Amino acid sequence: MHVIKRNPLLLLKILLIAIFVYFFILMAEITWRYVPFDRFASFLAIKQTEVDERSEYLWFFYAHVYTSLWVLLVGFLAILRLKYWPKLHQYMGKIYVGLIVFVAAPSGLYMGIFANGEWIAQVSFILLSVLWWWVTVKAYRLARQHQYGEHKKWMWRSFALTLSAITLRLWKVILVYLFMPNPMDLYQVIAWLGWVPNLLLIEVLIAKKIL
Amino acid sequence: MKIIQGFFLSLAILGLFACQPDETQQNNRTSASKVPSNLVLESASKAETEQKALPDIYTEYYGIYTGDFVGIEMVKDGDDEYEQEITTKISLKINSITEEAVYGHSIVKGKQRPFTGVFDASNKTFVLDEPGDDKTDGRFTVKLKGDNLTGKWVAYQKLAVKAPNKTLNLAKKSFVYNANFMLDPDTDLIDWENPKEFIEKYTDSDSGEVVQYKEEKNRVASEAVFKLNGSKHTLTEKQLKNLRKLDLEIIKNTIYARHGYSFKKETYRYFFEQTDWYIPTNNDVSQVLTPLEKNNIALLNRFIKYAEDEYDRFGR
Repeated sequence: MHVIKRNPLLLLKILLIAIFVYFFILMAEITWRYVPFDRFASFLAIKQTEVDERSEYLWFFYAHVYTSLWVLLVGFLAILRLKYWPKLHQYMGKIYVGLIVFVAAPSGLYMGIFANGEWIAQVSFILLSVLWWWVTVKAYRLARQHQYGEHKKWMWRSFALTLSAITLRLWKVILVYLFMPNPMDLYQVIAWLGWVPNLLLIEVLIAKKIL
Repeated sequence: MKIIQGFFLSLAILGLFACQPDETQQNNRTSASKVPSNLVLESASKAETEQKALPDIYTEYYGIYTGDFVGIEMVKDGDDEYEQEITTKISLKINSITEEAVYGHSIVKGKQRPFTGVFDASNKTFVLDEPGDDKTDGRFTVKLKGDNLTGKWVAYQKLAVKAPNKTLNLAKKSFVYNANFMLDPDTDLIDWENPKEFIEKYTDSDSGEVVQYKEEKNRVASEAVFKLNGSKHTLTEKQLKNLRKLDLEIIKNTIYARHGYSFKKETYRYFFEQTDWYIPTNNDVSQVLTPLEKNNIALLNRFIKYAEDEYDRFGR
């Protein structure tokens, strides 16, 4: 109890690490469904039009699925900033930026163009991937320029978008529980709900100088 | 420190919902429909080939007779028990009549039973016996009048069935497959068989107390089931993507219904018995599906599985 009194954030910190681990495991389970390769697995079951007609679709799909899980993990580790391992932040940060900029965001853009939910969802995912790429590049450049205050803000924006992988799926569960909508009506909503509130929340926290 | 604080604050908000996924997943699972099983009854076909030696007679009486199968059953309602008239659909299919025997099968609720029997031409009466190796087997005694077949059925094991004596009132129907058949637009689209319980809350305006109560809700199919024809057109992923599981199942089962498939599940019997064209004649139609239908069924099965696995789950 003494430890908690001295450091009231510690309990919150442990709780939130636990929450992240919980969702990370859920995401890992989703990723695991695509191992080994199976062109009908899970989400691909309703994506056969694209798989049949576009030979490159599966390449982009797997690039996105297999990297995104690690983006979540290294992003989270970069935030943790272990005192006894100061270099960890840099290592994790570089992997984070590299994976997003060269693999996850471009493949996300490609998949956004052919997303379910027609143009309403497609516009959202295209916008998301472009923003994700741009925000992450900007955050990286600021670090290179030693502007760490700004770097921090932009990295929070980047990670808010990264977390949309989790929040989108979470909104889906909540909305299905509450309203039982048809699948694609739902998809159009979560396409936007997945990342816009995340970004708004981060902007509020930045404006209030909490971050 | 403020960074961590803010980040954790945002995560904490998300965390509030952390326990939902598994719970809802189980609630919303409903059983899948498995159409059709490959229960081809050997005895019927074997018997029919053996009797080929004798010439077919009275061929004008061959065919499918469909109608009501009525019995009195004991129904339990809480502690009360009372008798109630229960009506199901039955089809009798007369496949051949010879000097010595009559061959065919009965079909009720997706259960197909072969029968053999005799035909008394003088008073146009059939006595038809099911094999007896199933506890629901029995003997039909039916009389032909014009195109109507009426009479009774008596179970061999009177204690093994709910209603050991039933009456039949059937009319001859000619079953012809037609790819254009669709569910009637007036069909009641509520699935009464799979209600789900929801816990609803309201605040009592007088006492201010929050009161919980259970409510049952039933699935309702959409208008899509009147529009998408899986026997006539190649269905696309785009057409199916926004449909719920019940819609997908009905679109799929309409294909089977056109071929006279007798559904085991009450849900589907209910929908298709509302149309005038549906005549259940068979419990295995897999051999007569067209290539187009087979492709559509494969696509629909994929979507039904996806709807089952993914609809309410943490994922896409």
